[in-house]
Amino acid sequence: MEKGMRLTKKDLEELEDEKARNRKQRMEFVDMYAAWLRKTPNKVWSRQHNKYFGKAKIKAED
Amino acid sequence: MELEFSGNTIRLDKELSELDRLVLRFVKILEKSKIDYVIISGYVAILFGRSRNTEDVDLFIEEMDFAKFMRLWRELEKEGFWCLNTSSPQNAYNGYLKEKLAVRFALKDEMEPNFEVKFPKSRYNIYSLKKKIEVALSAGKMMTSELELQIAFKLSLGSDKDFEDARHLYNIFKEHLNIELLKIHIRDLKVEKRADGVIWKKA
Repeated sequence: MEKGMRLTKKDLEELEDEKARNRKQRMEFVDMYAAWLRKTPNKVWSRQHNKYFGKAKIKAED
Repeated sequence: MELEFSGNTIRLDKELSELDRLVLRFVKILEKSKIDYVIISGYVAILFGRSRNTEDVDLFIEEMDFAKFMRLWRELEKEGFWCLNTSSPQNAYNGYLKEKLAVRFALKDEMEPNFEVKFPKSRYNIYSLKKKIEVALSAGKMMTSELELQIAFKLSLGSDKDFEDARHLYNIFKEHLNIELLKIHIRDLKVEKRADGVIWKKA
């Protein structure tokens, strides 16, 4: 029979702290990214953006 | 990021993504069919550089009679889109849109990205459609929701992703936002505490 992780209350509290830290760090990244966008020419940031995001599988060209 | 503000229009000359081009293609069909629409949702943040992807683009379209919807349905089919929910336009109209539910359209035989289309029903929906702004891109234009409302609405949705979208839009547009209006929307949507944590306070 599987025993699982048997997390204690302390383990769960640590997990909550970790989630809060991750959330805070993601927000810091959102700020950092926006600050970079604001000082970067459209041509540069949008080209970089398009390498990773905004992909759509389009069969027929418009 | 270079943005030009002129009246109700924001001009953004950037290299368009495939998603941007698909959205332009979809809204051109709405415009050709003379259907009033507004894009809401995470795509607005992505359009302005938010570093994430999405599988759907949410829109409100004006409430219309079945005959007009049928013309739109035919036009979408002609332009290579299909409805993911149902193959019956009667069902899409009566079983979904008139029941305050969304219908999804995507390029034929594909699931994503898709356009999640709804009739505006609540006061918030109707306001979004009425108070939209135009975003002018190199290959066309699209109508999106007022930025102040978009930020407040993202706060009301409440996921981490939505909070990050709200903060991104605030960061990009803070000098151009009507802060009083933003505060009114935040108050109306009862998200003051979230705004304190996400918008007004530094991370």
